[in-house]
Amino acid sequence: MFIRMIGKAFFRQWKKMTMIALTIALGASLATAMLSVMIDVEDKINQELKVYGANIKVVPKDTSVIDELYDVGDENISGAYLKEDELGKIKTIFWAFNIVDYAPFINTDAKLSDGTKVDVTGTWFNHHMDLPTGEELDAGIASLRSWWDITEGEWLDEQGNEDPYRAMAGAGIAEREGISAGDIISVEGAGGSVMLTVVGIFDAGGEEDDIIYVPVDVAQEIGGLEGRIDSIEVSALTTPDNDLARKAAQDPSSLSVAQYETWYCTAYVSSICYQIEEVITDSVASAVRQVADSEGQILKKTKLLMILITILSMIGAALGICNLVTASVMERSQEIGLMKAIGAHNGAITGLILAEIMCTAVAGGVTGFFAGLGFAQIIGHSVFASSITMRPMVIPLVAVLVVLVTLIGSIPAIRLLLGLKPTEVLHGK
Amino acid sequence: MKKRKMYIRMITASLLRRRTRMIIALLAITIGAMILSGLVTIYIDVPRQMGAQFRNYGANMIFTSAEGDISPEDVRTAVSVIPSEKLVGLAPYRYETVRINDRPVMAAATDMEGAKAASPFWAVDGEWPEEGGQIMIGKNVAATYNLKPGKKMTCSYLPEQEDVMDNYMDFTVTGILDTGGKEEDYVYMSFEDMEELTGESTAYDICELSVSAAADELETISQTINSSAPSLTARLIKRVTQSETTVLSKLQALVLLVTVVVLALTMICVGTTMTAVVAERRKEIGLRKALGAGNASIVGEFMGEGMILGAAGGLLGSVFGFIFAQSVSMNVFNSSIILMPWLVPVTIAASILVTGLACLIPIKSATKVDPALVLKGE
Repeated sequence: MFIRMIGKAFFRQWKKMTMIALTIALGASLATAMLSVMIDVEDKINQELKVYGANIKVVPKDTSVIDELYDVGDENISGAYLKEDELGKIKTIFWAFNIVDYAPFINTDAKLSDGTKVDVTGTWFNHHMDLPTGEELDAGIASLRSWWDITEGEWLDEQGNEDPYRAMAGAGIAEREGISAGDIISVEGAGGSVMLTVVGIFDAGGEEDDIIYVPVDVAQEIGGLEGRIDSIEVSALTTPDNDLARKAAQDPSSLSVAQYETWYCTAYVSSICYQIEEVITDSVASAVRQVADSEGQILKKTKLLMILITILSMIGAALGICNLVTASVMERSQEIGLMKAIGAHNGAITGLILAEIMCTAVAGGVTGFFAGLGFAQIIGHSVFASSITMRPMVIPLVAVLVVLVTLIGSIPAIRLLLGLKPTEVLHGK
Repeated sequence: MKKRKMYIRMITASLLRRRTRMIIALLAITIGAMILSGLVTIYIDVPRQMGAQFRNYGANMIFTSAEGDISPEDVRTAVSVIPSEKLVGLAPYRYETVRINDRPVMAAATDMEGAKAASPFWAVDGEWPEEGGQIMIGKNVAATYNLKPGKKMTCSYLPEQEDVMDNYMDFTVTGILDTGGKEEDYVYMSFEDMEELTGESTAYDICELSVSAAADELETISQTINSSAPSLTARLIKRVTQSETTVLSKLQALVLLVTVVVLALTMICVGTTMTAVVAERRKEIGLRKALGAGNASIVGEFMGEGMILGAAGGLLGSVFGFIFAQSVSMNVFNSSIILMPWLVPVTIAASILVTGLACLIPIKSATKVDPALVLKGE
């Protein structure tokens, strides 16, 4: 009988029920979309902030003490270098997944054919790597220096063209030496002389404008520095620092075992640095504060902003649903009066109405949930040009929200209705 | 005259008599309006507020000079081009090679307050120098000479003229600078100390500026400076300005999209509430029709009610919306939001429009009712 009554209620009042279901669906879709976006926004903004370039710099242990500044003179003699064959190891650390990009650098002095001294830097442009994990990664300065303006020619493409003897020149040196894209220049260093085709001229708006960039192998050949690199720039997704991270950054050995594990297994910039130092022999990895600190700040603010906006829109949706549920329950005073007149108990009436509303809410909630997933993807694709990761934790959150809101909306109305006198209601007062 | 009086009386009486119902409807409209005004305020203010956060990346403009030296007067003229509320930090620098233990170290003279504002990411272990005779040293320098905050050290300067003796000066280390960049190899002192040490009057080598403005605005500023102060060149630090534009535009697009989605949904919510409110008054409509009311007067009365609700909800909503936006801004950015008075009429107009539209459909269908059937209760 109970089921039949509910069934009939749906059948007879399908218009009203559809409306309630629709409102709940809208609310649920809003909640789903906002929650998914909110949870994912940190990752997305983190990815966007990668345009600021590397946030970790790895240098050999000795140079970090006596740095470039001392101008030791002939650079080829100062001993400290990193080993090129260890580069792949960076992608094997605990937080390997968070390393989105990195590039090695090797600097060497060289002379152009007319005797002018130039700085030549060897690096990866879009170096392709097949990792032991089966992943593939294109790393290099094409993405680490996204702010470079290519004024002439194009980016050096390591993958498409097999010829390694190519270069990119900074706008400053190109202007002074009259180099333009397509030219062939002769560069002579301590290790020998090579002919390079200039494929592009870039404007970096800084010191890099006076440097000629070439593939790593070529720079090593020019400088006679086979297998060696000067520094590595790493771009990693990190968690904003907290007290633990700051304490650990000073001295990891001062932590207790539990603290150490928490720190090691969290993607703080200091723990990633520590792990890089573990795999690269005689290296010092340090955070580039300008990038790492600012990233943390911006991430924190964005996340907080999204949380507050989400809360507001949830409250809005919740109140909207409450409103409608209350309104629809109130309308049924006559029906309830009749039920009471023929002897229905308060409990039975409450049960009936709640069961009806809940059925509608579940139908609306499920529809809304899937619509919300769609919304989230639309937001993801139009803003970040990538899809929003679906988190399972959104499902219980939305479910609880829908049930709670529906209950809150219907209970005051039901209480009001139970207080009604059947005779008055049926009489039409 | 009488007719209008009657009309107003009918509307107000109907609103007052059905108090609970109307409060519910008003609540729905207020929430809608609040979300509209709150989110729009945030949307408009986000670039400004977030832009301030992006100033953490440090200087986005530098002044250099072809002649080598920049005089403080030139800098003052150039800076006057930038609106003072947009200038976050200005740090002039002068670089000289000094000697510590007879080994060369690059020393920079700067205005400490300016440097602090222009490079907020500098992490100092210890204190910033506050008075003469104090010095801040880079992390690498500290490691090389084994210096800690509080220790004393001596800097020497070898003037260019060969016949002049070295000039020695004692400093107290107040702090150790950690930036992850090449600043870690420098030592930082005040202009007065640098003047005393080198015996030369100070001119600037370079000026770092942190300006809170979008990329194209910065471009205009730097062009104005270049034409008004020919002795120096203003250049933008591409890495900072371009990246900021990229990230900020994404962020604003996100807030915009969220605003649109939330707005669409709240409008539908307001719509459904108003539909429910009107639909339950079929009996009343039937009665009025039976008494001889025309469709136009029924529509007019309901619309009048709806619009009063819309206006009241819009007004309340814009007040709450501002309070909401303000509290978000205080919580997230620790700064207050800019009050936008034009948003109040816009919010009210929008909520009247939405309420009107929402009422229109159910009223239209309600006017079609047959009075006899409705009054009989079928």
